[in-house]
Amino acid sequence: MLVPIFTLKLNHKINPRMVTVGKFDGVHPCLTAATQAGKVFIHNPHARGQRPVAHRLSQSAQDSDISLLNINQAVTCLTAGTLGPNTTGDTLLVGSQTNLLAYDVHDNADIFYREVTDGANAIVLGHLGDKPSPLAIIGGNCALQGFDHAGNDHFWTVTGDNVRSLVLCDFTGDGKNELLVGSEDFDIRVFKEDELVYEMSENETVTSLCHMHDSRFGYALANGTVGVYDRSARYWRIKSKNHAMSIHAFDLNADGVVELITGWSNGKIDARSDRTGEVIFKDNFSSSVAGVVEGDYRLDGQIQLICASTEGEVRGYLPASKDLKGNLMDSSAEQDLIRELSQRRQNLLLELRNYEENAKGVSETNSGVGVIPANTQLQTALSVRPATEAQKAHVELSISTPNETIIRAVLIFAEGIFEGESHVVHPSAQNLSGCVRVPIVPPKDIPVDLHIKAFVGGKTSTQFHVFEITRQLPRFSMYDITVDSSAAPPTGRVTFSINDRPQRVVMWLNQNFLLPEGVDSPDITFNSLRGGGLLSISMASNGQITLRTDDIDLAGDLIQSLASFLAIEELSAEADFPGYFEELHTTLTEVDEFHSVHQKLTAAMADHSNYIRNMLVQAEDARLMGEMTTMKKRYRELYDLNRDLVNEYKIRSNNHNALLACLKSVNQAIQRAGRLRVGKPKNQVISACRDAIKSNNINALFRIMKAGTASS
Amino acid sequence: MEIHLNRVDYIQVGVTSQKTMRLLPALGKKATQKVAVADHDGILTCFGMKKGEAVPVFKTLPGQKIARLDLGGAAGTPQEKIFVCSGSHVRGFTKKGKQFLTFEANLTESINAMHVSGSDLFVCASYIFNHYCDCKDQHYYLSGDKINDISCLSSENLSRPVLACQDRVLRVLQGSELVYDIEVPGPPSVLELYNKDGGEDVLYGTTDGKIGLVQIGESAAATKWEIDNDKKKGGILCIDTYDIMGDGVNDILVGRDDGTVEVFGFDSSSEPTLRFEHVLSESVTSIQGGCVGKESYDEVLTATYTGWVTGLTTEPQKAEAGPGDEVRMSKEIQSKVEALRAELEQLQVKVLQGREQYQQTSQSSTAVSAVPVFSINDKFTLCQDDASYSLTLEVQTAIDNLLLQSDVPIDLLDVDKNSAVVSFSECDSEQPNGNFLLATYRCQANTTRLELKVRSIEGQYGTLQAYVTPRLQPKTCQVRQYQIKPLSLHQRTHSIEQERPMNRLSLVGQFSFAEIHSWVVFCLPEVPEKTPAGESIAFYFHNTFLGTQLEATYCKGEGHFKSDNISTISILNDVLSKEATKRKINLNISYDINDDSVSHTLKMIHPKLQYQLLLARKVQLIDALKELQVHEGNADFLIAEYRNILDESANLLEEYKKQPAHLERLYGMITDLFIDKFKFKGQNVKTKVSSLLEILDNYDLNSLLDFFNEA
Repeated sequence: MLVPIFTLKLNHKINPRMVTVGKFDGVHPCLTAATQAGKVFIHNPHARGQRPVAHRLSQSAQDSDISLLNINQAVTCLTAGTLGPNTTGDTLLVGSQTNLLAYDVHDNADIFYREVTDGANAIVLGHLGDKPSPLAIIGGNCALQGFDHAGNDHFWTVTGDNVRSLVLCDFTGDGKNELLVGSEDFDIRVFKEDELVYEMSENETVTSLCHMHDSRFGYALANGTVGVYDRSARYWRIKSKNHAMSIHAFDLNADGVVELITGWSNGKIDARSDRTGEVIFKDNFSSSVAGVVEGDYRLDGQIQLICASTEGEVRGYLPASKDLKGNLMDSSAEQDLIRELSQRRQNLLLELRNYEENAKGVSETNSGVGVIPANTQLQTALSVRPATEAQKAHVELSISTPNETIIRAVLIFAEGIFEGESHVVHPSAQNLSGCVRVPIVPPKDIPVDLHIKAFVGGKTSTQFHVFEITRQLPRFSMYDITVDSSAAPPTGRVTFSINDRPQRVVMWLNQNFLLPEGVDSPDITFNSLRGGGLLSISMASNGQITLRTDDIDLAGDLIQSLASFLAIEELSAEADFPGYFEELHTTLTEVDEFHSVHQKLTAAMADHSNYIRNMLVQAEDARLMGEMTTMKKRYRELYDLNRDLVNEYKIRSNNHNALLACLKSVNQAIQRAGRLRVGKPKNQVISACRDAIKSNNINALFRIMKAGTASS
Repeated sequence: MEIHLNRVDYIQVGVTSQKTMRLLPALGKKATQKVAVADHDGILTCFGMKKGEAVPVFKTLPGQKIARLDLGGAAGTPQEKIFVCSGSHVRGFTKKGKQFLTFEANLTESINAMHVSGSDLFVCASYIFNHYCDCKDQHYYLSGDKINDISCLSSENLSRPVLACQDRVLRVLQGSELVYDIEVPGPPSVLELYNKDGGEDVLYGTTDGKIGLVQIGESAAATKWEIDNDKKKGGILCIDTYDIMGDGVNDILVGRDDGTVEVFGFDSSSEPTLRFEHVLSESVTSIQGGCVGKESYDEVLTATYTGWVTGLTTEPQKAEAGPGDEVRMSKEIQSKVEALRAELEQLQVKVLQGREQYQQTSQSSTAVSAVPVFSINDKFTLCQDDASYSLTLEVQTAIDNLLLQSDVPIDLLDVDKNSAVVSFSECDSEQPNGNFLLATYRCQANTTRLELKVRSIEGQYGTLQAYVTPRLQPKTCQVRQYQIKPLSLHQRTHSIEQERPMNRLSLVGQFSFAEIHSWVVFCLPEVPEKTPAGESIAFYFHNTFLGTQLEATYCKGEGHFKSDNISTISILNDVLSKEATKRKINLNISYDINDDSVSHTLKMIHPKLQYQLLLARKVQLIDALKELQVHEGNADFLIAEYRNILDESANLLEEYKKQPAHLERLYGMITDLFIDKFKFKGQNVKTKVSSLLEILDNYDLNSLLDFFNEA
C-alpha cells in the first residue's frame, strides 16, 4: 500500500485552488499558497533564514521556513512558472478581483502590477499557439487576457460567462497549445489563439481543468462530477456527493500513463485511471483538500505528488515502486477478483430465480407482490402546454399504462433541467391512477435525455415493477406552434444565406422543436413560452433565412444549432435587435458614469487617509503631552472619520460591483453578436467589436454588431 | 497489544439471519473445523476448507427460511448435532447431514430465537417462551415485550433461561416463573454465555451498540462491566468468546449491523479494551472464533447478511512478489477463478434463455408478470445522543436507487459514510399529493447498504416511505413504511424522577384496555403492539432531546399521563382526542397543569442552551482570530479567553458540525412550550412569539423566565 513519504503541518490556512509550486531561485521548489488576510505564503525548507526582510516579504513568526507575502487584497488565483526570457527562477503571479501582480520572489521585486477590470478568477502560464513568448493568461468576468513578461497585453478575447478554470493543452494535436476555458455557463470552450474552435456543454459550472496527456484532459464540475475528455468526446465521468476541489494529472502507479488525482471537499484524495475512472488509490485528510500539485520537494530527482489541505496539512507521495505491481490499495487483488466474480454469480442466480418464480406463476391472493399483466407497456408523450391560470407554461410529459395497473411514482433523472439531478412525482394514496402528467420547465434551450423510472403495480402492492424509459427532450422545446395572432410581431431579426435545400431546414425544425404533427415548410412561427414573444422563421427560395425574434440569445442558439446540423463552417449574417441595442447603449453610458464615480471616490479616499495620518499624530502628541481632553477629542474625530471611511468603502464596493456587472454585460454583448455568425465571420466580429470598445467608438460597435464588419 | 488479522472469503450462501453460523467442534487437536451455515432459502450448508477451497460436507434441500441455528448434543459428548428452526419447526441434523429430528412446536408464530442444551430445547416466538425436554412441553412464559434472543445457564440440576426482551430488560426465568429482571441500557438483541462450559456470566449486546457482562445470581444479578457506544457504531448482532490473542484469556468477538467486527481483549485490570477492528461492507450476522482455513492458525469466522462466510485469520498473507510484472496468482486461486468463470458462463446462457422467455410472455395477453419479493434488512431507530432517527437499509444485491417520501415535515441529514448522490425534488406539500419530502439517492456501484439520518419534530406525525430499487433484472422496487409518531423523540426508560413538578392529563371514558393501548402505541415509540397482560400498565419515557419525562398509566376506561413538559401533554391531548373522535368514543379529558413545571423545564434547557450559544459565539470568532494571528505573527497579544478559543478551534468546529441546527431546535421547543403553556389557559399567544425570539437572541435565563410569567 502506498503511504506518504512526507507530511508537513504548516499552521497556515490554505485557500482552495490557490496552491502552486515554484522554483523561485531556479533550484529549490517552494510550495506557495494563498492564505487568509490577503497574504501568500512561500514554504521554503531548503534555504533557511537567508531571506532579507523587505518590501512585500516578511518572515513568519511561527515557522522559519515560511515567508509571507503581503498582497493586501483577497487573492483569487495564483501560479508560478517561467515568464520572462532571462530570469533565473520562476515568476510568481498573483491575481485578485482587480489586479494582477507578477513578482520575482528571489529578487524580492515586482515585475509588473497591472489593473485588470474584469478580475482574475483563474490563471494559467505557458505558451499559447504561435505566440513567441510565454503568456500569463487570466480569465475574468467573460473575458480572457494574456500578458507577457513586461506586462503587455498580447491576447484578449471574450467568452460566454465568468471564467472559472483555464488550462493550456494541445487539443487539436497540431503541436501548438490551445487554451481550454471552463466557465459558469457550464461550457468548456477551446480557443486556438483567439478563435473559438470547440464548445462542449456540461451541466454545471466547470470549476477545474487539467491536462492529462496528448489531447486528453480532466475536468471537474461544481456538482461533484469529475471526468476525462479526449478532445471533444467524454471518456468517462463519475459523480460524488462531495465537491472536487482540485484535480491534477500524475503517474502515481508508475505505469507510464498519468492518472487523474482528485482532491475532494471532504478531505479525500483519490487517483483514477485515465481510461476507466477506476479508483487505484485513495487517502484521507481531516479537512477539505485545497490543492494538488507536484514537485521534487526532497531534491532527490524524483517528482512527488503533493497534496495540501485547507488547514495547512501537506502530504507528499512518491510514485509506486515496482514491487507494488500497481496495487496501491490495502487489499488483495485476488480476493477482490473472486469476490467480484462471486457477486456476479449471485446476481445471475437471483435473476434466474426471478424468471423461474415468475414462470411458476403466483397465487392471485398475494396482492403485495404487485402482479401485473405481462403485456403492460408504458406510453409516454411529450407536448407543449401554454400557460393557464393555474399553471405556468410547461412541457408536459404524460406517462400512462394501458390497463388497470397504477403508477405509484415516477422518477425522472435528467441533467440541467431540475434543481437537483432528479424530479419525483408521488401521488397520494387516494389519487393513484394509471396516468401521470409531469410538467417540465427546461430553464435553457438544451437537448436533454429524460431517464424515466416508473413504479407500476396494484393499488395495495408493496412491490412494484420498475419501467425504465429514456426520452429525449428536443433543444427548443419551450416554443409553441399555436400562435396568438394578436401578439406584436418581433422587432429584432437576423438574416443569413445558406446553400441548402429547404427540406433540410424542415428536418432540422422537426428534430429540434416539439411539433405534434411535424411541419413540411420552413416558414413557421412559434410562441415562446418563456415570455420572449414570437419567433418566426422564414426561408426564401434563394436560400436566405430570416429569423425574427426579440431575444438575441435565442437567435444565436438557433443559428449555432442550424449551422452544426447543416455542417456549415462559415456563416455571416446581418442582424438588428433594436431593443437589445438600446439597452446596450444605456449600459455603455453607465460604464462611463461608474468609471468617473470610481475616480472621484478614489481621490476622496486618498484625502481621508492623509487626514487620518495627521490626526493620529496629533492625538498621540496630545497623549504624550498629557492633554487628555484634546486627545479624547482627536480620537473621537478619528472614530468619526473611520466610520465615514467605512461608509465610503461600502459605496465604493457597490459602485465597483455595478461596474463589474455592466462590463460583464458588455462582454456578453460581444459574445452574443459573435454567436450570430459561425467560423471566421464570428471571430472577425469579436475582434472588431473589441477594437471599437478600445477606441471607445460606440457607433462603430453597433455597426459591427449589425453588419458583421466595421467598414460599410 | 495489537493483532493483525487478514481477511479471507470462503463461500457465499443465501441471505442469513442473526446467529445462523456455527463451527463444529474439532475432531483432533489443531485440526481445521467444519462450518455449518443456514440461510433464508432454507438451505443448511456444512463445509470444510481443503487447500483453500470450500468442500461441502452436505447441503440440505431448499425450504422455509431458517431463523436460527444452534449446536447441541447429549451432555458430556461433543456438541456436534446441528439444530435449525424455520417457521415453527425445529430440525436436527448429524454432522454428516442425516436428519434425526423433526419437531413441530405448534406455535402460531414463527420461532425467532432458539437455544439447545443437552435434551432441553428452548424456543421463543415474539412474546412466547417455550421449554421442551425430549420434545415434551415443560414450561411456558409470556413476556411483556418482544423476545429478541434467549440463552440458558445450566448447572447439573437446574436450568435458568435468560430472555433478552425489547423493553430493555433481561428476564431470568425458572420453570414458568419470572425470577427477576435486569435492566440494561438499550434494547438487548443478543445474548451469549461468557463461559461456554458453564458459569453464571452472560454477555449481552444491544441494538444501539452497547455490550455488557452480567452475572446471573440466585435471586439478583450484578453488572460486571459495560462498553458504551461512543463512536456511534452499529447495533450488536452477534457475540462470541474466543482466545484469538493467544494470551490465555478469552477475548470477546463482536459483530455489528454496520459491518464492524471487533475483538476486545482484557488488560491487567480485567477491563475490556478494543484490540482489533475491521469493517466488512454489510451486517455481520454471526461470529465465532476457531480454526477453519488452515491448521494451527486461529481465526475469527463471520457470516454476513448477504451470505458471505468470511474469515479474519492470523495466518499472514503470502507475499505476492514473483518474477516479471504480472501479479502471480497461486494455483489454488487460479483454479478457483477458472471454476467461477466457467460457472458464470453457464449461468449467463441460462439467464439469457430466461430473459427471452420473459420477453415472450409480454406478447401474451393472459400471462402475468410477478417477480418474487426480494429481502430487505431494515432498521429505523432513534439515536439517543442527537435525538434523530437513523434508517439503515440493506439488500442482498447492489442498490440502484432509493426514493424517500414523507407526508410529514422532516429533515434529512447528511451521513459521511454514505456515498450515494442525493437529490431533493420539488414537492407540493398541499393536497392532493401532500408530500413534504421527496428525495432520491442514486447509489454508487456495489452499494448494498445505505444509512440515512432523519430528524423529526414532535407533534407532527405521519409516514416515511422508502422505495428501494436494486440492480436486478427484471427491475422491481419495494416500499417500506416507517411511522413517525407524535411523540417521536421519546424513548422507553425504566423509571422516572417523581420529584419533578408534573402536569397531568387524565382520560375517562367508555374504552377498553386494548383501545387505549392502541392509542398509546400510536403516540409513542417502543411500546409493544400486543395489549399487555393484566388489568393495568405503566410505561415510562424520557425525551431524548430535552431530558423531560413522561409516565403513562392506564387501564380499562381510564388513563393518566404525567409529564414535566407541558408540550408533551399538549401533543397527547391533541392526538388522543382526535383518535377518540375518529372512533366515536366519548372521552372525558381533564388536565391539571402545574405552572412550576414550565420554569422547571426552562431551567433544564438552560445549560444546553447556554452551552450552544457559547459554542456558536466561539465558532463565529475562530476565523477572525486566526486572521489576527496570521497578521500579527503570533497570538500572544490576545487575552487568554481568545487564545483558548484558538487552541481549541479544531474541537469546537467538530462539535459544532456534529449537531447541525441544534440551537434552532431548542428555540423551536421553547416556542412550543410558550404557546402550549398559554393554550391550556385558553389564550392564543402566537402574536407574542416574535418578542420571545427577541429575548432568546439576547438570552438570559431570568429574563426568559420573567417573560414566560408575565405574558
